[in-house]
Amino acid sequence: MATTTATLTLSSTDLLSDALSVSATQTLYKAGTTTGLDGLQYERLEVAAGTEVDIIDATTAGANKANKVYVANKHTDETKYIEVYIATYKIGRLYAGDWMFIPLEAAAASQDISIKAITTTQVVEFALIHEGKTLTTAS
Amino acid sequence: MATTTATITLASSDIADNALSISNTMTMTTAGTTTGITETTGLARKKMASTTLTDLITLNSFQDITAQKSAKVYIKNTGTATDKYAIIGIGNSAATPYTIGRLYGGDWMLFPWLALPVDGDGFSASETDDGTYGHASNQDITIDMSDDTETIIEYMVFFE
Repeated sequence: MATTTATLTLSSTDLLSDALSVSATQTLYKAGTTTGLDGLQYERLEVAAGTEVDIIDATTAGANKANKVYVANKHTDETKYIEVYIATYKIGRLYAGDWMFIPLEAAAASQDISIKAITTTQVVEFALIHEGKTLTTAS
Repeated sequence: MATTTATITLASSDIADNALSISNTMTMTTAGTTTGITETTGLARKKMASTTLTDLITLNSFQDITAQKSAKVYIKNTGTATDKYAIIGIGNSAATPYTIGRLYGGDWMLFPWLALPVDGDGFSASETDDGTYGHASNQDITIDMSDDTETIIEYMVFFE
């Protein structure tokens, strides 16, 4: 088994009256176990503006598991953003430089993660750390 | 303006032949600018001890958040049991929210939140008029525990 960790550090010296310092580390385990996730998909894409496109497919092998997803908008113009969807439901915007990290239940095949670049082509990096993925038969 | 950063480090020496090392720092800014976000709920803790689907963060409870901006939500399951989890969703807890995923004991998540109040005309119409608050189908953050073991959930919202 693999050992993969995800560490978050949230910090600010001036958002609140006192300094903000939150740190959290998780080891990425398979669902309900202490066995490490061992599947990995890591990609970097140029996403053209205007069309919602799937970047991560929910598949039967990964359904109801402890999959983790990382998405980062690597664009550098702060006025530009991508929209992020789960099962075609828009949950938020990642502006240039923003990232997100979420668990993905993938309970249904429709629970894909998709994005739409707004206004201009943007570079997006994403990673899926998972414990199973149904492969498509070659045609 | 404030400067607030969020850094993620994803690391593994054995998930592939070569080491995985992803590190990324974002500065939380207001939408489309380089101005730092200045508002937050602060770090909150909520005790969960029921398997009833409920709201963790109710949009109607802090109406000063501006929808369709660059709000971010941090949530952590502080439990230690790796076989128990919280299902985090978005939408209407009185109906069927859209499920994001499961936070097992020790897991955390950070994601952008549209924070859209959704009125009776439906999602598309609300995007046009930004809706009004108090509707059942608002984009609340929902939670559903896997069992009734008492568990502390931490959360924090950054918004404008």
